[in-house]
Amino acid sequence: MKNKILIIIPAYNEEENILDTYNSIEKYNKKYKTNYDVIVINDGSKDQTSNICHENNIPVIDLVHNLGIGGAVQTGYKYAYEYQYDIAIQFDGDGQHNVEFIKDLIEPLINKEVDMTIGSRFIEKSKEGFKSTRTRYVGITIIALFIKLFSRRKIKDTTSGFRACNQKVIKYFCRNYPPEYPEPVSSFELLRNGYKILEIPVSMNERKGGESSINNAFKKIYYMINVVLSIFVVWLRGENK
Amino acid sequence: MNITMRIGIIGLSIFFILIITHILKKGRIPIKYALVWYAAGIVTLLTGVMPDLIGYIAHFLKFEVMSNMIIIILIFILIFISIILTIIVAGQTTKIRLLIQEVSLLKEKINKVKK
Repeated sequence: MKNKILIIIPAYNEEENILDTYNSIEKYNKKYKTNYDVIVINDGSKDQTSNICHENNIPVIDLVHNLGIGGAVQTGYKYAYEYQYDIAIQFDGDGQHNVEFIKDLIEPLINKEVDMTIGSRFIEKSKEGFKSTRTRYVGITIIALFIKLFSRRKIKDTTSGFRACNQKVIKYFCRNYPPEYPEPVSSFELLRNGYKILEIPVSMNERKGGESSINNAFKKIYYMINVVLSIFVVWLRGENK
Repeated sequence: MNITMRIGIIGLSIFFILIITHILKKGRIPIKYALVWYAAGIVTLLTGVMPDLIGYIAHFLKFEVMSNMIIIILIFILIFISIILTIIVAGQTTKIRLLIQEVSLLKEKINKVKK
């Protein structure tokens, strides 16, 4: 039986990149005869993102109000759950992620080896390409350390937004998805609840347009404190019933 | 405590309690939230009506001056109210998020059917 696969693309003010991102997936589908569906979650963009999607027949959900990355991605998982997709892939709309790696990400899921895969820039076999800025790498490593401390499991690229998961995790994410700092916290939550996660080496591109939302020292420290505290609270909470 | 001060405190407390009652009457807040505010009003009112009793309690609890005890009690009531408000706001944020998601998903569905 063929797996139904959905690519969730959260987009906030991505008018410069969204069409390129969509076209790269379509091109890939044609080239490899794959059948990846796409859903763009337009998180209340103030630019032409929504119009570009509608004009080019890109499947899109326009959130009636801005929710932030967590709420937007969760909407995608709810969509995946409703339409009974077997695998959902989170894929950034800003051109950072490369569609070529999707097949690597979903393979362990199709073989039922793990519940979620994370496209990782930092594991040994990771190919060349944009890694990260130095400060960001330090932050990612500190978060990795805390995840290891509380779960005894290793995730190296803790903030990677390039992830794929199976139906069990889709269902879990519909119920619980952290609205803030979603990537590291949700990965930790899955580990805490006994799901299996595997990191897959990928290479990423530097973002084409726009700017990172965490752009000054204060915000970086604030982000770190929040993530570490969230991990601690999830740990305290124990397993979700 | 002199008589003018007592009258002032009693007057202000009654005014405060009346304001809360007025807001309640208009249906702007539910009773459960008004209760804490009444508690704050009653604490200050008691200070004006029975300063001797309050003074005795303060002395018994080893407060240097009575007003310190009143202020501590009121600060705790205010902190309590703030925590309750944070919980309410957080709960509403979650509900709004769910609503936005559901409405947006529904809109997408309707658009699909229209096409």
